[in-house]
Amino acid sequence: MRHDPSSGPVAARVEALNARYRNHAAIAVLRHALSDPAVGRIALVSSFGAESVVLLHMIAVLDRATPVVFIDTQMLFAETLSYQAEVAAQLGLSDVRTIRARPAALAAHDPDRLLHKSDSDACCALRKAEPLERALAPFDAWITGRKRFQGQTRARLDFFENEADQRIKVNPLAHWRPADVRDYMLNNRLPRHPLVARGYPSIGCAPCTGRVKDGEDPRAGRWRGQEKEECGIHLVNGKLVRGPVADDARQDQEEAAMNVIVTDTGFAADDRGGDFQSPDLPGATALDLAPDADVSVLQGRLEGVDIIRIAFPAFSDGRGFTMARRLRMMGFAGRLRAAGHVIADQYAMARRAGFDEVEITPDLARRQPWEQWQARADWRTHDYQKRLRGLA
Amino acid sequence: MYEYGEFDTAYVRDRVAQFRAQVERRLDGSLTEEEFRPLRLMNGLYLQLHAYMLRVAIPYGTLNSRQMRQLAHIAERWDKGYGHFTTRQNIQYNWPRLPEVPDILDALADVGMHAIQTSGNTVRNVTADHFAGAAADEVADPRPYAELLRQWSTDHPEFQFLPRKFKIGVTGAPNDRAVIRSHDIGLELRRDAAGAPGFRVFVGGGLGRTPMVGQELAAFIPERDLLPYVEAILSVYNLLGRRDNKYKARLKIAVHEHGIDTIRALVDEAFEERCAQFSGIDQELLSGIAAQFARPALEQRGVAPYHAAREADPVFRAWADTNLADHADGAHAIVTISLKPHGATPGDATAAQMRVMADLAARYGHDQLRISHEQNVILPHVHRADLPQVHGALKEAGLATANVGLVSDIIACPGMDYCSLATARSIPIAQDIATRFEELKLEHEVGPLKIKISGCINACGHHHVGHIGILGLDRAGVENYQVTLGGDGSETTVIGQRAGPGFSADEIVPAVERLVLAYLDLREGAEETFLELYRRLGAQPFKDALYPEQARRRRDAA
Repeated sequence: MRHDPSSGPVAARVEALNARYRNHAAIAVLRHALSDPAVGRIALVSSFGAESVVLLHMIAVLDRATPVVFIDTQMLFAETLSYQAEVAAQLGLSDVRTIRARPAALAAHDPDRLLHKSDSDACCALRKAEPLERALAPFDAWITGRKRFQGQTRARLDFFENEADQRIKVNPLAHWRPADVRDYMLNNRLPRHPLVARGYPSIGCAPCTGRVKDGEDPRAGRWRGQEKEECGIHLVNGKLVRGPVADDARQDQEEAAMNVIVTDTGFAADDRGGDFQSPDLPGATALDLAPDADVSVLQGRLEGVDIIRIAFPAFSDGRGFTMARRLRMMGFAGRLRAAGHVIADQYAMARRAGFDEVEITPDLARRQPWEQWQARADWRTHDYQKRLRGLA
Repeated sequence: MYEYGEFDTAYVRDRVAQFRAQVERRLDGSLTEEEFRPLRLMNGLYLQLHAYMLRVAIPYGTLNSRQMRQLAHIAERWDKGYGHFTTRQNIQYNWPRLPEVPDILDALADVGMHAIQTSGNTVRNVTADHFAGAAADEVADPRPYAELLRQWSTDHPEFQFLPRKFKIGVTGAPNDRAVIRSHDIGLELRRDAAGAPGFRVFVGGGLGRTPMVGQELAAFIPERDLLPYVEAILSVYNLLGRRDNKYKARLKIAVHEHGIDTIRALVDEAFEERCAQFSGIDQELLSGIAAQFARPALEQRGVAPYHAAREADPVFRAWADTNLADHADGAHAIVTISLKPHGATPGDATAAQMRVMADLAARYGHDQLRISHEQNVILPHVHRADLPQVHGALKEAGLATANVGLVSDIIACPGMDYCSLATARSIPIAQDIATRFEELKLEHEVGPLKIKISGCINACGHHHVGHIGILGLDRAGVENYQVTLGGDGSETTVIGQRAGPGFSADEIVPAVERLVLAYLDLREGAEETFLELYRRLGAQPFKDALYPEQARRRRDAA
């Protein structure tokens, strides 16, 4: 939508937009951004990286013809290029504009493709910032996936930002936490960037992106060893930013490692740690079952197994309940654990299906404290199945 | 009919309390919108175009006058004074406010009703033949089995998060009035050689965007195997059903992709496992339930007033000819009250009308009412001598439309007037068709004809099984109505065939009129119904009537 010039200069419009949409959810902000005349002509800029698919999916749902700008720095991972094509096709995005640096500029400034080694800022400017500036020229506003939790420089991010009095930058996911991103991708069954599973939670150009170790900040692999946090696209006051990675994001990561075990008597720490093995391993006594595992193959192999953990990839995926019931019918008498996205409202179902306990993330334990699980710890009462089966 | 015992009452109350807490936990952020969504859906609460919509179950379509009065009370107190009866024996309220929904659920619990599992990816309200317990052609009353299935499916711990919704329908007669071949599981009561009751089982039926007719999974299972067998089907579906694409997640797709023989082998294997879970106590519960469905003691007295009214009053006679069905007892009749007055919204009833129907049931109908999947209300046991009074009271309430089974007895989904999924209006089309045929004064001459209208490809108006089906689509921002012909939802279920290009909103009513006039021209006599003629002559003469221009060109070329 072309913006209504009578709505004033960028700064005033940004202030009014932030006031208007302060309490809106991400999808609502995005919907309004696509149609509010105070925003104007708008494009989504996407790296098709680790978390990009969230905004791409939202755009596909709201208006698949929204222009999507993808910057091919010609230094990207092959996986990113194939993932870009796959996602665009699957979501039916109809206006993806792939932009690249001008060949003449590349020939002049980085003929041997080694500029990133001597001056990564100059490389970012050449391959990203300049092509982006050109691509955004026809637009009044652009959408980014930046979030507050991603670092100190982003800690006070608003939905709408004034970019040098020229354009509005829209950040619909500004207030999302890591768990929101994860839940959204799970619930909408969105394809993941193939490198995420290989230890790259944040993905940029191949030479400047490394693996991240457990407990590290997700963006720690970007420009590792350099005092660089932003790539050149996200300018602060028109300049590149330098500075340490935010501490609060690190803390989140550490806490995330400690899951909570829910039983009829309360929350507890996990006494098993991560000590689970594949059911294919002969002699394993603690088994991890995927949501699509065939429990029949365990027939006759349950002797000596202490505990079985069944994964719930999303709370709306009820396969695990039938898997648990089948294991009980096969005579399994050890501990049965439901792990993953199981909510308090499902606790009685889990118990009735044969589970002894539920393993949840600390995030979920904070959001749904013990009282909410306790409310369904009365799973033995009001149970039609018990009544129909005549079981004690 | 079945009265809630202590267990059911305590369960429903507890469930309301749970939902009340869930609403609060949504508001305080404990539940995300995505987590809350299936929880409200499994309690019957939808978010529609203008507001929330609450869908209340009328299990197997049976209710008493007290319950009907409470539905009227809810309509007045919390809604806009009316309710909408649906094609799956539910009633929908279109304007409740979220914070008040728990209060509505409490009011329902007061009379042994609920909205549990009327939506969501769960086993939905179990539906049954609306003439159950009264029809002359019945093998056995299907409702005790439907009630047993209701108890079994309610809050079943394994099956609250299925790949997709799951519908079960039961019929007690070989004449299928419950559209069972369009259900995920269709059950037909029959008896074995020794006379013991059991079921023929169909699976994988469904309408929607990929209509399929259910296939026979078992020719006969004895009644004691009902729960373990149905549970076996559900357990196979829960693990096998697709979760990657909601449009391919129904059981019908699994049956289509894996084949009925593979499904049967898996179900048989699961059935072995499940049998041991049931000790037989469910059969004791079943006989207790069945006793509650015993037919009321019917009065034996003369039917002379009925015949006298037929002689004297042509309006009564016309109504009796269309709206009465044979009762197993010759002195009684099954009355269908049409909720399809010409020009009104199919299936809507005002609170005042609900009270009139409740009063009639209490006074003349052994306190029983039924809701049919054709969106009408039934008084199942009315003595023929009382019919003139019943008809008189219905006339005063605007409920005496004599059109059951005729052109204007149309099934229509809410369409774009209410539904956020709809791509076209359906109610106004139904109203215009009914009004037009009322002007032509032709419907009684035309006889049995089922027109069904859906406002989008999800097919809530069952257009696939309409003798004439109408599907409203959006073509570049303009409503466009496709016509299907020859569909049938009975024991001879057939999916209708698309006739050709669609019609605009202005053209669709004249197109239907041309179809019906062509039928009158071509039929051999009044005994030959529209569907029979279609089966005898095929689609071509009907296509010629729909598209006269093409027919002319074809003739010219010949």
